[in-house]
Amino acid sequence: MQAVGKILRPALDKLYLTSGIMASLFLILILLLIVAQMVARWTGSVLTGAPDFTGYSMAASSFLALSYALNRGNHIRVSLLLNVLGRYRRYGEIWCFGVGSYLAIFFAYFAIKSTFESYRFNDISQGQDAWPIWIPQIFMCVGTVIFAIAFIDHLFALFTTGNHRIDEETLDANAE
Amino acid sequence: MENVLLVTIFMGTLFFLLGTGVWVGLALFGVAYLGLEMFTTRPAGDAMLTRIWTSSSSWTLTALPLFIWMGEILFRSRLSSDMFRGLAPWMARLPGGLVHINIVGCTIFAAVSGSSAATLTTVGKMSIPELRSRGYPEYMIIGTLTGAATLGLMIPPSLTLIVYGVTVEQSITKLFMAGILPGILLASLFMAYVAGWSFVKRDEVPVITEKMTFAEKVKESRFLIPIVVLILVVIGSMYGGWATATEAAAIGVVGSLLLAALQGSLTWDAFVASLLGATRTSAMIALILMGATALTLAMGFTGLPRALAEFIGAMELSKFSLLMALMVFYIILGMFLDGISSVVLTMAIVQPMVMQAGIDLIWFGIFIVVVVEMAQITPPIGFNLFVMQGITKHPMGYIAKTALPLFAIMVGMVFIMIAFPELATWLPSTVKNASGG
Repeated sequence: MQAVGKILRPALDKLYLTSGIMASLFLILILLLIVAQMVARWTGSVLTGAPDFTGYSMAASSFLALSYALNRGNHIRVSLLLNVLGRYRRYGEIWCFGVGSYLAIFFAYFAIKSTFESYRFNDISQGQDAWPIWIPQIFMCVGTVIFAIAFIDHLFALFTTGNHRIDEETLDANAE
Repeated sequence: MENVLLVTIFMGTLFFLLGTGVWVGLALFGVAYLGLEMFTTRPAGDAMLTRIWTSSSSWTLTALPLFIWMGEILFRSRLSSDMFRGLAPWMARLPGGLVHINIVGCTIFAAVSGSSAATLTTVGKMSIPELRSRGYPEYMIIGTLTGAATLGLMIPPSLTLIVYGVTVEQSITKLFMAGILPGILLASLFMAYVAGWSFVKRDEVPVITEKMTFAEKVKESRFLIPIVVLILVVIGSMYGGWATATEAAAIGVVGSLLLAALQGSLTWDAFVASLLGATRTSAMIALILMGATALTLAMGFTGLPRALAEFIGAMELSKFSLLMALMVFYIILGMFLDGISSVVLTMAIVQPMVMQAGIDLIWFGIFIVVVVEMAQITPPIGFNLFVMQGITKHPMGYIAKTALPLFAIMVGMVFIMIAFPELATWLPSTVKNASGG
């Protein structure tokens, strides 16, 4: 059991961080694409499909960062009741992470299913890019699958160590 | 509304999941699934994912991470540390003295960052110790800061307004413009409160003797001036129709990177921290939006929004009483939820109601922001109270009490907006349309 943990733990942490970093690279891509579009417009040329690629980058960035944001305690929830629970908080957390794991798995399953269907029916983007839609949708699958893994990871930790692994209440500059 | 029982189960589950601490975005997602299963024969999961993909890959939404990033960069630059020095010479002569720095500082920082927690942290960190050391009374320092930080939700770029605009499909540029005049008016009312305090409690105001010439004042605020120019460029490019909200956000990011680099505060670590912070925050909001998209889809099938809109229509409520009811509703909701969640959670139901009553959606955006702002400073859950407690270690009840006069001013602001709707609607009507998107 511990041997598995020794290999799995760093591997999982690396997975979350990597997807977070990829998400932030897509954020940089969004910036570059928008600046390119502006420059193109000023100089009188048009970047075909650039708005569509910006949208895909937005989706890719959001989905890939889901698990990273979860681990850093960014996702918002109402913790009023959990705080009242005191030493029984653990049971409340098990409920939350249980429901969370279930919904995240559900999310990932249907993300994969809808991407597979885009692939099977060869859905082409409505925009000017005319790309097969399953290509950008891959990032939705990857992101939601890692999100589900992260939830199961926390739920497992709750059962074994009695605590989830989120750095709770880290207030980021922009976390409202 | 034929299925009263089913609708009750549907709404009951929603509040149960939210109340027990399930993450807002996932709770909305789960309830949407339940709703689609109960009210339709459509394959729920597939319908939800199609909708979620379309809304997550929207071009308009990209303004969100970029404005967040801009705030994160400036948050880490010298702006925060130099703001007090830069503003002090200009505020010292006003009645009420340096307390005004809290309000003006919050207004300026609100214009570079879309959230009130960031505004509160940045301005609070530098102004609280300075004001304390000069002998200003604690309750004035804390109260004005807590209240004025809510301007972050109103003055563009506002994350809440972007989320609202994407949800109800209104122009983000117009919403931003609509927030400017009410935001400035609200800030002025806060300043009037400080001035009023200085006349009533003359003995509480410390005397400031230092005098400066105009040139010295400018020299003191040399770090502040570029930021103000950047704000004017970002807002002006939207107003003048040269850039869409998204493009203005990109200009803001590039501009703040340049400013930070020129000031020498753009280290590699600061750059990475700002980028990762922006990525996480926007993923947080994106998850809520994904859940809300699915919920809106499901809500349509329940018939609840239409039934409620018809119900409100049949009651022949005046606009005024509808708005009063909504104000109370949002303040209560906001006691438990943050601003963005309360907006997206309710829009599926509230939007048809508001449109039925003939209320302008741009104006309503500003109304809802003011109301959600108030909720940020009401216990038991007010985000600004939490942040303030973290900075000052005062009990939450004390902080809420010091902010009470500012809460009252905001209530007054709602009535002013109802009496003079042009405050919000005039400026957007003069905006030139941007050429792209």
